[in-house]
Amino acid sequence: MNRQRMFVVAAMIVVASLILSACGATPTVAPATQPPATVAPATQAPAPATQAPATAAPAATATSATSNPDTIIIGTTDKIASLDSADAYATHDWEILRNISDGLLYMKPGTTDVAPDLATDMGTISSDGLTYTYTLKDGIKFGDGSPLTATIYAAQLNRLLTIGPKCPNDVADTLAVPYVKSITAPDDKTIVFKLTTPIAFFPQILAGAPYVASDPNTFKTDACNLFPTAPVYGVGPWYISQYNPDEQMVLLPNPYYTGSMKPQVKQIIVRFYSDPNTMALAVQSGEIDIAWRILSPDQLTSLKSVSGLTVGTINGGSIRYLVLNHTIKPYDDPNVDKAIAASIDRNAIADTVYSGQVSPLYSMIPPGFLGADQAFDTMYSSPNLDAAKKFLEASGYSATNPVKLVMWYPPEHYGASTAAWMQLIKTQLEATGEIQVTLNSQEWSTYVPALTGGKSYGAGVLGWFFDYPDPSNYLDPFVFNRGEGTNVTLPATGSLTGTPINDKAKQLVALLNQADIETDMTKRADIYKQAQDLYADMVVTVPLFFNAEHVVYRSNIKADANSAKPENLNIGPDIMFFYSELSKSQ
Amino acid sequence: MSPIAIIALIIGVPSLLLLAYVFARGSTGLRRYILTRIALTLPMIFILATMVFFILRILPGDPVTSALGPKGTPEMIQHIRATLGLNDPLIVQYGRFLWNMITLHFGNSLVGGHRLILDEMSERFPATLELIIPASVLALLIGIYGGALAASKRKQALDYSLRIYSVIIYSLPIFWLGLLLQLFFGVRLGWLPISGRIDAIIGTNLKTVTNIYSLDALLSGNWPAFFSVVRHLVLPTITLGLILSGVFLRMTRINVIETMQADYIGAARARGIRERILIYGHALKNAMIPVITLIGLQVAILLAGAVLTETVFSWPGMGSYLVERISARDYTAVQSVITVFAMLVALISLAVDVIYSLVDPRVRY
Repeated sequence: MNRQRMFVVAAMIVVASLILSACGATPTVAPATQPPATVAPATQAPAPATQAPATAAPAATATSATSNPDTIIIGTTDKIASLDSADAYATHDWEILRNISDGLLYMKPGTTDVAPDLATDMGTISSDGLTYTYTLKDGIKFGDGSPLTATIYAAQLNRLLTIGPKCPNDVADTLAVPYVKSITAPDDKTIVFKLTTPIAFFPQILAGAPYVASDPNTFKTDACNLFPTAPVYGVGPWYISQYNPDEQMVLLPNPYYTGSMKPQVKQIIVRFYSDPNTMALAVQSGEIDIAWRILSPDQLTSLKSVSGLTVGTINGGSIRYLVLNHTIKPYDDPNVDKAIAASIDRNAIADTVYSGQVSPLYSMIPPGFLGADQAFDTMYSSPNLDAAKKFLEASGYSATNPVKLVMWYPPEHYGASTAAWMQLIKTQLEATGEIQVTLNSQEWSTYVPALTGGKSYGAGVLGWFFDYPDPSNYLDPFVFNRGEGTNVTLPATGSLTGTPINDKAKQLVALLNQADIETDMTKRADIYKQAQDLYADMVVTVPLFFNAEHVVYRSNIKADANSAKPENLNIGPDIMFFYSELSKSQ
Repeated sequence: MSPIAIIALIIGVPSLLLLAYVFARGSTGLRRYILTRIALTLPMIFILATMVFFILRILPGDPVTSALGPKGTPEMIQHIRATLGLNDPLIVQYGRFLWNMITLHFGNSLVGGHRLILDEMSERFPATLELIIPASVLALLIGIYGGALAASKRKQALDYSLRIYSVIIYSLPIFWLGLLLQLFFGVRLGWLPISGRIDAIIGTNLKTVTNIYSLDALLSGNWPAFFSVVRHLVLPTITLGLILSGVFLRMTRINVIETMQADYIGAARARGIRERILIYGHALKNAMIPVITLIGLQVAILLAGAVLTETVFSWPGMGSYLVERISARDYTAVQSVITVFAMLVALISLAVDVIYSLVDPRVRY
């Protein structure tokens, strides 16, 4: 057979293969689906107003996406790790869960104020603080029309206690198991939580994504289901119609939703990006309407100058701080720790490295949270090099006998600018003339256990974002049980807080325990002020700055003006983005 | 049937039939050569996969702590490690890994939901295929035609220009070129999309079978989707294809110049055959033989280039998947992807060698 005929035969084989595969294959991605036929919302891509019948897909132009008033496209560099509320433990996972389902309580958009959602009110609390009882509203339905009763809801919430700890991301061991002993439904309208210990911040925990109602048809009580097949229903304003991992997720309005946050557009598409620079270009060119998490300071500065774009700044709960290990020399010397606290110029970090995109932080509790104050500023008025020198000289250090500090940081996890501000901190400390700093970087997955294990690194930087928006989540983790490497308490069997290493640590532990159960908010705030002062005196950690989140959106995107922060699309310090707040003009 | 199985069928069935034809009609030496190459490919992949397995475990870092960060308590970390089998003896983990490779099961990802790696690759691999095929075609078209043109205009301005082009284009960083194209054609002119595989809204209507979107659009007759996919392919294809074209251009040029000095070309010229036919009809065909070999070698570079291109254009392919999973210390995903890449390179090299022997009947094994 000559060569030409050989190629013809090969081409015929290829064509035949294509035809055979088309005949036999089944789709792997569900097309846009709709809920049962009793209600029939638009499920095809909504046609632009200028086009005729909705049966035809819109014309393919890159900018047709953002010119379509019925669809809002949100870009993000976050990835989905789990869509199971009994498992999910990441900010973006919680955002999706909070949009497709509701819980008994929620935080009002743009704020950290807790309010009833599926519950008729804020519930009743027993006198011992161990029992919380809520009444479910009437008429709540999942996106497929099936009703939510208290019995179903309690059974689904119990997944947190039963299979939750076995699920890969294990949110249950942080936000359920330590606090909740049981969840029961004595009737179809009442849900009762029995706690293991009284805590004042249980409403804040209950308002979180792990406690939303999940569909029993999708999330069985005996197994985790991290990536359910679309459609995924909840009782919230949206449901997941399609999900292509690492490409996009499509959300359509839940036709059975009866809550107050009704969708204002017909479709939300969340588009996933691997490169934040590409996302920045996409919002600039109009491929997407909103760019949300996470853009660098340089990209934000550049986008601020683009006409037609708005950059909203959300003073959220993400902080950066220096961990000092109080059992490793020389950080076991309080004078050295105080000298460090007195030397750092936070404004220089914010201005020089971040062009003002972050704000100095003078307490581990960020502004806006209960009891937040400026303890480190009050105590040290940093930068105050004279005070720093006095502390050092009190411990015998001098220009000829400087204290030698080794500090660690992860070069990539918190962004490329980490190296820059660590270098700046080194310069600030060495400006005393009595400190010598050696900076070391280590890759994240090695760095974390080395620092938080409390045995290897004397000092390092970490970031923190709350699990629930309460001051306890900004102090307790750095004091109790080795404290993420601070070692002000050491782990002890049978102890929830660990064993304090000295009297001041003992006093701090007592204050925090007291605040955790105090239900009078005024008294609680006062206890936290005392705790912050003691924390600053001990220099348990050194708060550096809090990281604002930024949302970039096009000029035809608006948020509900009745909520707290429409200029930030009503994203509050809890970094919860409710898509129902959004509307779009032509 | 999973997309990756469908693609394996589309590529595998014709390849096997072609191989059967070669076996039936080829020489004994060729048959022996093919069998030897196949036999050597298996231990090559095994050795590579074993090296990757042990190198990943020697590297500092741990997938569980990497994923949980500072919020991971020692108890949580141990529990998750036990669930994932990371506390098993190394030999047990190695045995499990080998079994997964042999059965093409690949196991579960250690991070991000612990999904089946085969499912994740089913989503990603077609995207990479959809990118590297047109990029290769573009690289070959520019490289071969440009090389022949440069050879035909030897020592003239066009020749010098094309040679300078080939050096510059090959030394340009891929991500820089991609960014430049995004800024100019996407943002400044607004002509082309700068990211993704398909328009967001149009994509909601695409019924996928193979996950090669252009093919799926054609199969379902969804023309808006097809044109959207093609538009989204333009910039990443140009980025990856241009970078590779430089190598092909230089190789083709050199070989055409050499071939043009052969006696039979001189004889053909003396018989009055036009220069254009001499170059494109005679010399180029013979000059292609080493270029075919180069194609096999460039596959590995193509895959490496795809890693950067996919990241810049947020193209959800195997390259960007590999980068993410290396950072996350996802051992099973990294091992699986590298094994698949190795198999791909080995198979394409074998195919190139077979084609080489078919193209040049003088080649004997």
